[in-house]
Amino acid sequence: MKRVFLVGMLPLAAVAVTAALAAGGAAAPSSDPGVSNSQVLIGGTAPLTGEAAAAGLTASGANAYFQWVNAHGGVKGRKIRYKVVDDGYDPAKTVQGTRQLVVQDHVFALFNSVGTSQNIAIRPYLNQVKVPQLFVASGWSGWGRDYRKYPFTMGFIPTYSAEGKIYARHILATRKNAKIAVLYQNDEYGREVLSGLRAGLGKRSRQIVAARGYDPSEPSVQSEVASLRSSNANTLMIFAFGTRAIQAFVTVKKLGWKPQIYVNAVSAATTTMRIASSTGQTEGAISIGFFKDPADPRWAKDKGYRLYRSIMKRFLPGKTVSNGYYMAGMAAACAMTQALRSAGRNLTRGGLMRAVTRLNFKDPFTLPGIRVKTTPTDRFPIQQAQLERWHKGRWHPFGRLLAAR
Amino acid sequence: MIGFALRALLFVGALALAAFLPTWLSTFRTYEFAYVGIYFIAILGLNILTGYTGQISLGQGAFMALGGYTTAILMADHGVKDVWTLPLAGLAAGVAGYLFGIPALRLRGPYLALATFAIAVSLPTLLLYDKLDRLTHGEEGINLFGIPESTASITPLRVLGHDLPFEKWIYYLTWTIAAALFLAAWLLLRGRTGRSFRAVRDSEVAAAVSGVHPAAYKTLAFGISAFYAGVAGGLYAMATTFVNPGTFPVALSLTLLVGAVASGLGSLWGLLAGAFLVEYLPTLAGKVSSQPGVASVVYGGILIALVVLLPDGAAGGLRRLARPLTSGRVFRS
Repeated sequence: MKRVFLVGMLPLAAVAVTAALAAGGAAAPSSDPGVSNSQVLIGGTAPLTGEAAAAGLTASGANAYFQWVNAHGGVKGRKIRYKVVDDGYDPAKTVQGTRQLVVQDHVFALFNSVGTSQNIAIRPYLNQVKVPQLFVASGWSGWGRDYRKYPFTMGFIPTYSAEGKIYARHILATRKNAKIAVLYQNDEYGREVLSGLRAGLGKRSRQIVAARGYDPSEPSVQSEVASLRSSNANTLMIFAFGTRAIQAFVTVKKLGWKPQIYVNAVSAATTTMRIASSTGQTEGAISIGFFKDPADPRWAKDKGYRLYRSIMKRFLPGKTVSNGYYMAGMAAACAMTQALRSAGRNLTRGGLMRAVTRLNFKDPFTLPGIRVKTTPTDRFPIQQAQLERWHKGRWHPFGRLLAAR
Repeated sequence: MIGFALRALLFVGALALAAFLPTWLSTFRTYEFAYVGIYFIAILGLNILTGYTGQISLGQGAFMALGGYTTAILMADHGVKDVWTLPLAGLAAGVAGYLFGIPALRLRGPYLALATFAIAVSLPTLLLYDKLDRLTHGEEGINLFGIPESTASITPLRVLGHDLPFEKWIYYLTWTIAAALFLAAWLLLRGRTGRSFRAVRDSEVAAAVSGVHPAAYKTLAFGISAFYAGVAGGLYAMATTFVNPGTFPVALSLTLLVGAVASGLGSLWGLLAGAFLVEYLPTLAGKVSSQPGVASVVYGGILIALVVLLPDGAAGGLRRLARPLTSGRVFRS
């Protein structure tokens, strides 16, 4: 009978909790969502916590760039405000966070949300409610390819399949008889790099003597690498993300294997490579780049890099300037600023999409020679990349700028 | 009998409160609270298995995935209205859970935990299997937003002259089902079945001697628990309006167990706290600092503090609070 007391506590506790949570109220919607006379609000999700948190730094880099733009008067008299919601790299949280940005914060557009699955999860929703989903931080080719079905979505970096093709072409040009082993993340991203490699090799795709996928939730890729080793390949493709890529280097070393290694761009940040370097296996590894690498001393006198450094010093003091994720974030933010500028003073979502599909400018944070260029039927903003080789603790570019389609 | 009447009254009171909450909350808060309801159902199911029957499961998220995919496939590919997919989602997961319960009989304690964890780990990969692509649509997943089977996802639902936007609709649906399932669990657990579950948990030998068949009750608990997970998974798919293997990560199974422990194993009165914890603790931990890694440490720290301060979870905390007022009687329901 006295249990009744406890039951009584339940609704009381509920009231207390809800009262506390309800305190964060909703902003008043304006006639044109997210746009006022003095401000434009954009938003995005990123993994600020969890395993992929390193990629979340792109959001900080982008925000620093917007602050710099605002300090110089903003865009057409409007300051850019960028709200980032943490999704911990969990697509269900991405959906919640995106709805929060659209329904509660009334953002004008989504910008730089991180992850392939994560963005696939919100794409139908955003296109139904006609909120632009711009400069998606993922190289999945669907962003640019599916524009007829999802006209409000666009990516930014070269596609994973284009990257695979570049590696294939490099192999055909330099080591025709290579025997190739592939380690790939078994999801939309890893499989796309692999299929790009296959397509690029064409008839010679039989030279892929072994391919092993690993599940992102697996703690280690050791057994996959060991089984690849037994295929007697002399070339290893590491299409793996973050710590898995480092593990792959370590395992190769442990097995006493000395293949020519190719590593995909998303895992080839200098900061990551330096950790893997302790194995000694990184020397001579090949990858591609498209942003200026802030760890590379050859940019010391470059205008884009100096802008980057001054923004880092002013708006992200104390952060590691050499971390390439900040650079990637600024590059995307620069494209966003450009699009907002050309959309004009009378800012509408339709107008923004018109501007975004007619970009043609030089982003100071991308490699010299790269133009960020789109048309209504060609929605892949960055379509050039540079091969690079790891030597003595940093990437050295070689050859000319390549088409990445 | 007064006790029963009062309890019923309070249950109705809580329901009334839940019914009016959305009028005070923003649309988005309402939507988040719908997720709290979904976790409530999943943790309730897990508690029946782990708390009452003593079988540790790290695979509750996998059964949610089964339910979620059942709902999504029925809605998107077979034109079944969202609400009607829920019983089937529960059933699909329930049958799978019951079947899993049979080989699981051979396993105990940490070994059982590992076996259930294996389902949670392998299911996302299985969903990506090429031969199942036509069913599961691989990594691209299944979209439910804006399809006619999805109630109110674009235009609000008209109910008794009121517009019910998607967020509120899903809130009401979830909490109605949660209340019904809570009532069902409570009735089940206070009766003979619940007694048998507890007997199996406390000592299988003693249970068998008293005429309770441990194997039958363990598989039954697996089935019921998975049924709850399946319904929760169906609602999860409806609320997220999308499923792919990434929507049911391994971490989901782990957080649900954390939620169950925080609620208090073997009691139903702390469930709300556990469900709130699953939904809000990661966000709150992230607010401490934007420095990478800090949030995970805070999250872990809070969990350790909870386990030390409230070893029996929220339910145990309530019990302890109430003890001075209840002349030392210990409650277990």
